[in-house]
Amino acid sequence: MTEQNIPLLEVEDLAVEFATPDGVVRAVDGLSYSVTAGRTLAIVGESGSGKSVSSLAVMGLLQIPPARIVRGAVRFKGEDLLTLSPKEHRAVCGAHIAMVFQDALTALNPVHTVGWQLTEALRARRKMSRREAAGRAVELLDMVKVPNAKERIKDYPHQFSGGMRQRVMIASALAMDPEVLIADEPTTALDVTVQAQIMTLLSEIQAERDMGLILITHDMGVVANVADDVTVMYAGRAVEQASVFDVFASAAHPYTRALLRSIPRLDQKGAGLEVIPGRPPDPTSVPAGCPFHPRCGYAEDVCRSDPPPPQHTLLYDRRSACHFAERVVQERGGVR
Amino acid sequence: MTDPSVSALMAEETEGGVPNRSFWSDAFRTLRRRPSVIGATVVAVFFLVVALFPWLFTDKDPQRCDIADSRIPPQWLGGEHPFGTNVHGCDVLAELVYGSRPSLLLAFIVVGASVLIGVTLGTLAGYYLGIVDAIVSRTVEVFLVIPLLLAALLLLSLFRTVDLGDGLLATIIQPAIVLTLFGWMGYTRYVRASVLETKNLDYVTAARVLGASDLRIMFRHVLPNAIGTVTALVPTAIAAVIGTEAVLAFLGIGVRPPAVSWGIMITEGSEWFTGGSQYLLLFPLGCLLATVLAFVVIGDNLRDALDPKLR
Amino acid sequence: MGRYVMRRVLQGVFTLFLVILLLHLLTTLAIQLNGNPAQAFFGDRPPSPSQLAAVEKRYALDDPCYDQLGNPCLGPFVDRLAAYASGDFGESLRGREVTDIVGTAAPNTLRLFAVVGVTWMLIGMTLGSIAARRRGKPSDQGIRGLSVLIDALPIFVLLLVYKYVFSVPLSKWAKETFGSDSLPALLFKPSFSADHPWATLIVPGILLGLAGSAAFIRLVRAAQLENYNADHVRAARSKGLSERHVTVHHVVRNSSIPVATAVGIIFTEALAGAVITEGMMNIYGMGGVLWRAVQDSDVSVVIGIVTLLAVVTVAVMIVVDVVYAALDPRIRYD
Repeated sequence: MTEQNIPLLEVEDLAVEFATPDGVVRAVDGLSYSVTAGRTLAIVGESGSGKSVSSLAVMGLLQIPPARIVRGAVRFKGEDLLTLSPKEHRAVCGAHIAMVFQDALTALNPVHTVGWQLTEALRARRKMSRREAAGRAVELLDMVKVPNAKERIKDYPHQFSGGMRQRVMIASALAMDPEVLIADEPTTALDVTVQAQIMTLLSEIQAERDMGLILITHDMGVVANVADDVTVMYAGRAVEQASVFDVFASAAHPYTRALLRSIPRLDQKGAGLEVIPGRPPDPTSVPAGCPFHPRCGYAEDVCRSDPPPPQHTLLYDRRSACHFAERVVQERGGVR
Repeated sequence: MTDPSVSALMAEETEGGVPNRSFWSDAFRTLRRRPSVIGATVVAVFFLVVALFPWLFTDKDPQRCDIADSRIPPQWLGGEHPFGTNVHGCDVLAELVYGSRPSLLLAFIVVGASVLIGVTLGTLAGYYLGIVDAIVSRTVEVFLVIPLLLAALLLLSLFRTVDLGDGLLATIIQPAIVLTLFGWMGYTRYVRASVLETKNLDYVTAARVLGASDLRIMFRHVLPNAIGTVTALVPTAIAAVIGTEAVLAFLGIGVRPPAVSWGIMITEGSEWFTGGSQYLLLFPLGCLLATVLAFVVIGDNLRDALDPKLR
Repeated sequence: MGRYVMRRVLQGVFTLFLVILLLHLLTTLAIQLNGNPAQAFFGDRPPSPSQLAAVEKRYALDDPCYDQLGNPCLGPFVDRLAAYASGDFGESLRGREVTDIVGTAAPNTLRLFAVVGVTWMLIGMTLGSIAARRRGKPSDQGIRGLSVLIDALPIFVLLLVYKYVFSVPLSKWAKETFGSDSLPALLFKPSFSADHPWATLIVPGILLGLAGSAAFIRLVRAAQLENYNADHVRAARSKGLSERHVTVHHVVRNSSIPVATAVGIIFTEALAGAVITEGMMNIYGMGGVLWRAVQDSDVSVVIGIVTLLAVVTVAVMIVVDVVYAALDPRIRYD
């Protein structure tokens, strides 16, 4: 019981800034989350909420400059990756934490065969021989259920369909047997039936290997199906963190509530689509106080002025960054 | 859900896809602001005026030369020969002014004809594909193998002894034909590529469904997209032809004496450079340089403004 | 891949055939228009009877097809093809075989192209990389403006200016400071010296390379910008690979594709530029021979060399296509 609860990956108060011609942009502002083995954390948010940037920071893939990690820690099994040298940080990535990118067509290099790319890291970092690597590549493709693996390792990425390519990417991430997998919108570029297949595949693989899975998405449907825990992000901050059951039963933050309400429902024919009024804030000019207040139905004066509402714990394991979190939770609503 | 034919009609009415007026005026506005473009346009227009209205700039006949006045250095303002005279006693200013005509006329004719041929062939090839495309594309490939200059060298050498008379047109017709013959391929390729891109777009299909004839589709829908790219290429092409004329004249196979062009002046001028008459080379060279630079600057900026893909 | 190469070579041979046919048709037309078949080969100079006879025999100019405007003269064409196949590309006015001339001249042209290639690479890579790395900043815009200017100057003008304005005083200064036979004196010599082929080729090569480098600067800049932040580069980094591995196998490897294509496109222009450069700087290369032949109206040589250069161009285009296919697997399977 206790073993299961030691977090594999812990992000603590991460803040990332970008220097742009229009000023300094705070892409991530005090984000904390943790992932344990065998559990799936879904990070939800709109574009620009900072969800991708935070995972790039974890992997050490941010371009510094113009990016700058202002503060925070990223602990893998207790060790703070941000304090390591780039070389040491790189050593951890790939081997222990791997990432699956959104668009498999551009994330795979078009000029190398799939087999070459699958085993690139194995050959370069673990000095695997070519023949061994070829065998491993076939294993990996089998694992992600790509048919005819032995022939397919000689093919190039453009010779695969979209869904197959995504499987190849997943296989490529799994090559070094990582303990944590970060999947950045893995199904956004795919159509719905293929989406379901890929998500099933990910869950199966996670279960087999007891991996921690971070799923970055904006699709609440996927979250409901797959996630154990949810972190909702807005304007670079975590506004709600809870288990998936709690979030869907009743949201504790107005933004989460609005997100859930905006999912179109089959049993509400003829009703208009619910939208969240307004737009996400311009990263160079985030509103003072709670960043969501211009669009929030619950907003009051305290929301409009600094400091922004802190994350506070409502109940065991449930956090929300709203002054009126208790009130929001009480109002039944969200998805039944 | 609106009727598809209605939306197609709407697309036609609103010039869907055709670069509407704001596209061109946007481009124009960007260009207007840049000092380099303004300067270049002034220079180009100046030389065009010189070529079109030579009598405004000189009252001498470049072909009426008095050998007794040979190689007089420039007398600048107030003198009989502001830019001096050449070996044969011809007034240099007059030569410069009248010499601009063959150079510029050749450039405009060649580029104009090349564009016409290129656009026609490119549109036909891209639109009809099949055997038409096969023939056109193969022809383009074959012509592309031979560099323009080499073809000109070959063919004009053979034409050397042919004399077609003294008129302005006659002096340039041979180089004009040869340069056009090997200058149309680039336009064909660009236009064909553009046609291929646009002809499968929805509004074109819609127009076809509504019964628009092939010609109408080509003109109103497909061609306007290609025009942007082609227009951007024209000024640079003009500059290239002006430069090529100079090379051909240097070799004796371009515009030929007794006609005057900048190329011929440069040829003669380089022979006398070390003999103390540097101005004989520097004046025509300067004019050539200025004109070429002007057109290239216009062309580059036009390309940036009209076709973001080429940036 | 092997099948692609075969296909490409066959296509190339077919194209070459069409090119030679085109050249033949055009020259035939020119001869017919000229009115004076054999005389056309000599321009203004009166040929000696033996020269006239040689040309007539060589090009079968007594064939009546040359008197009919529009007749494609396929008979003489086949004869000429047979001659080419056996390595006979004609003779100069002085009786020397074109193949012989080319044998002496070609190495110089190759040397020139070597200098040009190095110049392209150096200027293209350095300026292009700087422009890419400092994107948007003044140095980037300055470099792009510079490349516009370089593009603008016809090589002809550049050479004229160098030859008449710079090289004479520079070579005089070099001779006085370093001696007649020293490297600087040779570098700035306004004409070619067969005893010091490399030294006297360097400046013309750099000038010619300069004129064509604008395209390379733009290309390198675009390719590097595209690749440095490309998704697949980031994905490779996420696997924990070293920066060196990523640069070699992902950045450089992918950037080399547009470079290969560019070489193919620029080659024909470079060839024309080389003709002018060799001509103006008196370099005894293929271009220089051609230049002189045009001035002397030695049409047999002109035809022979242009044909030969066409063969070379087709060969280069085939090689470029094959290299491109080797580098980019996406195009192999059409």
